[in-house]
Amino acid sequence: MKDLLRLRTSLSEEIELLLNEQIKTEAYSSAVYLAMASYCNRNGFDYSAGYLENQSNEERGHMLKIFKYINDLGGRAISPEVVNIPQEFESFKGVFELALQQEIKVTSQLNRIADQCMRLKDYTTFEFIQWFLKEQIEEEYVARRILELFDVIGEEGTGRWQIDKQIPKVSYGESAGEE
Amino acid sequence: MKDNNCIKIVEVFRTENGSVSQCNKTNSYILEFGGTTCSFKASDFIDFTKRVNSLDLVGMILSSSSVTDVTVLMPPYSERCFVLTLTDVLNLKELLGGAKFSLHLNSVIWECLRPHLYSI
Repeated sequence: MKDLLRLRTSLSEEIELLLNEQIKTEAYSSAVYLAMASYCNRNGFDYSAGYLENQSNEERGHMLKIFKYINDLGGRAISPEVVNIPQEFESFKGVFELALQQEIKVTSQLNRIADQCMRLKDYTTFEFIQWFLKEQIEEEYVARRILELFDVIGEEGTGRWQIDKQIPKVSYGESAGEE
Repeated sequence: MKDNNCIKIVEVFRTENGSVSQCNKTNSYILEFGGTTCSFKASDFIDFTKRVNSLDLVGMILSSSSVTDVTVLMPPYSERCFVLTLTDVLNLKELLGGAKFSLHLNSVIWECLRPHLYSI
């Protein structure tokens, strides 16, 4: 009997499901970053608003990369339903605490995909996911460094104004701490 | 395997309530259940199986509303529909589950045989 399942796609059902979940997570991240950008804009943190808008676009780019990969391999990429986006945040610092939590969640999901790829011997997807895992080193590093600005500079006086100005400048060098 | 491919319709799985077959000519699956016959592309068949598996049986059992006595399922790209009672859903799940197992077993067998079939 012909193997129609394999003719359709080289992705296993489990991996396709996990990748579609990841699409949803990336779309959710993109929407949350946009809501954060709006909050920062409303509260006069212009630099942070710009930074968060860029982050939102980046997350959408990640989503599309996975979306295209699934379709390229003959799978069924699902346009995600994104709901329950928080529109209000407890504070300026709270925004970036949530951003770090979101990045940690993304990393843990990507690790789960990599783990499943190894288990199912799907080395193509394993190779594909490496780019995202590497990207997460940068994402988490930047999110942590931004959060540390709140302690290093301090929020008193013109502190928040200074922090806002510094946020878009935080970047990741190949070795941590490099300027 | 080569001879088997010449047979156009191959039965994948059968229960006393219906059957799933594979057409090697059109690369599609044929579901016969409750007097209705439907043809599916491979991806649509998997999607349909997922939809059947996600039907809320507990909700159907516990609800006292007559609306939940039956579920209507529309296969993709088809003008037919399945009107399923609770028993029908269970029977269809059994049929599709068995077919899915057979199809995955076939994939595993092919995976093992492929290096030998196409070796130079």
